[in-house]
Amino acid sequence: MNIYDAIFYLFAVVTGLSAFFVVTTRNIVYAAFFLLFTFFGVAGIYVLLGADFIAIVQLIIYVGGILILLLFGVMLTNKITSVQIKTGTLQIVPAAVGVGLFAGFLIAVLTYTEWKTVDTALPLTTTEFLGVMLLQEYLVVFELLGILLLIALIGAASIARR
Amino acid sequence: MELSINYILNELNFIKPELVISISIVLIVFTDLIFDKRKQILPVISLISLLITGYFVIEQFGMNTFAIAPAGSKGMLAVDPFGAFFKMVVLFASFIIILFSINSSEIKLSSDRHGEYYTLIFGMILGMLFVISAADLILIYISLELLSLSSYVLAGFTKQSLRNSEASLKYLIYGGVSSGIMLFGISIIYGITGSTNLYEINSLIQAPQLPNITFILASILIFTGIGFKISAAPFHFWTPDVYEGAPIPITAYLSIASKAAGFALLIRFVKVTFIQSINTEGYWQLLNIIDWKTFVVLISILSMTLGNFAALWQNNLKRLLAYSSIAHAGYLLLGLAVLSNQGLLAIIIYFAIYAFMNLGAFLIVMLIANKTGSEDMDDYNGLGFTSPLLSVSLAIFFISLTGLPPTAGFIAKLYLFIALIDAEMITVAVIALLNTVVSLYYYVRVLKHLYLVKAEPDTPIIGVSALNTVLILMLLIPTLVFGIYFTPIVDFAKVSVSLLGF
Repeated sequence: MNIYDAIFYLFAVVTGLSAFFVVTTRNIVYAAFFLLFTFFGVAGIYVLLGADFIAIVQLIIYVGGILILLLFGVMLTNKITSVQIKTGTLQIVPAAVGVGLFAGFLIAVLTYTEWKTVDTALPLTTTEFLGVMLLQEYLVVFELLGILLLIALIGAASIARR
Repeated sequence: MELSINYILNELNFIKPELVISISIVLIVFTDLIFDKRKQILPVISLISLLITGYFVIEQFGMNTFAIAPAGSKGMLAVDPFGAFFKMVVLFASFIIILFSINSSEIKLSSDRHGEYYTLIFGMILGMLFVISAADLILIYISLELLSLSSYVLAGFTKQSLRNSEASLKYLIYGGVSSGIMLFGISIIYGITGSTNLYEINSLIQAPQLPNITFILASILIFTGIGFKISAAPFHFWTPDVYEGAPIPITAYLSIASKAAGFALLIRFVKVTFIQSINTEGYWQLLNIIDWKTFVVLISILSMTLGNFAALWQNNLKRLLAYSSIAHAGYLLLGLAVLSNQGLLAIIIYFAIYAFMNLGAFLIVMLIANKTGSEDMDDYNGLGFTSPLLSVSLAIFFISLTGLPPTAGFIAKLYLFIALIDAEMITVAVIALLNTVVSLYYYVRVLKHLYLVKAEPDTPIIGVSALNTVLILMLLIPTLVFGIYFTPIVDFAKVSVSLLGF
């Protein structure tokens, strides 16, 4: 196990554990704070993969933007912590069997798959490549994303209006 | 590094329909801003731009090419007659739905948000047009998201009742989960092949001919995302609640257009990604990686049986039509399970006819709900005597949905069964036939309420305006005519079976 593996497992454990607590905790403020660690762990994994741009975006947008907004929303909402969140568990046996089977399937897939690998040195910076790709090969997708965001904005306005 | 985007400029004329729709979105937003008080021009703009788009889509019946292909790779879009057919279905459904919306009392109630309404409808159309011809997994995902995002909001558009918000929220949650699952599948496929283009993936996986557990997982995950859109069991949970809660024009739209886009995507995904060769009789030889035939037959039998049997107990017309739409997804999947060009022909004929009869059924339900304010079956008692035009039309649409002659629904089922028997799938054909018999019961049960219960003094008389009469006849006449004289529709379908590359 080299140093990269150690760092990977560190971030993976941080991500996985905090995600587990986000789902299980009954206090919504705690859940929001645990989400901070989940996003942070994912950003760490991105750095490890050499995806510097995505890691920065993850930090700026998710941790810096969305999560802060979420926390503001939680804190500014009156009496939100005293509300009992209903997290009942129904049908625990079938669910456990189903999830167990699926997990086994996933582990089998992970173990036996020959993933496609490419032997190239990691580029020092990915931002330039990403920019060129977005405006060249994926120009249509990029433009479509613009429309997607416009539609999302209009949809949100429509929901918020009386 | 140098940008070379000139190729896009040269290929813009392959995506003219999508461009017209995008421009219409902007046009609608600005019209809504500038002519704030005159909302009635919005539908007019929408109808005109749909007609222009339709013209450009008809042009695409003659094309068979990749579009938006950067140097050295396959294109993002495949422009072919198959895609053009499904785009026509989507545009036709959109045209009718906008006429529905002009009449719907539910939509009229929130007239101050008509700008948003038409923008979101056009967002859906754009998503569907891209889904239908997309040949790249990334583009497929983004356009599917555009389609879903608009339909989540539209499902809860009126905000009049709790049911409405429930529909929207349920659709959002189920949709979010299923698109996440699909994205997981896409990421696995990228992980083993290193490509997102369906045609490139196909040539990359030609070599190993063994069942591959990773590919099976990825395919099932992607199927989950598509199965959600076409409401096939076991991914149908949202259908009854969303269909019941959403405004009727949107319900009708989800049942036709969204389903057409999903089927086009499913067929393209299965055929293009897994094909090895096509023999002279039109049967597809798929790669031995995943047994699509068994898988699709299982899903299809499950959808048909579950849809038809659950519909037996429904007293709400919208819920009934929701289960009937699950059952129809099952029949349509059988056409794919045959894995032949004849099965594809059957699907295309089925969709052409299904669009008329299902939209018609929803139109009548909407017109009755406009007056009575409910879709409950007991409120249909005796309507056959007070409102003959609506009742006769509903009867014809329901008989057609069952698949009895002399309606067009019979022709649709006939071609499906021919394809099944040709492929020697007799057992499956018998199961489908038995399902059709079951479906007769719940369709006819509505007719019983219409005709066999005497009209009470308080049974409403539902007048039909001139525009609505025209609209009913527009859907009713093809349903009857194609049942007797179906050569044009079959010829049209024969043109439309050709996918790019095969």
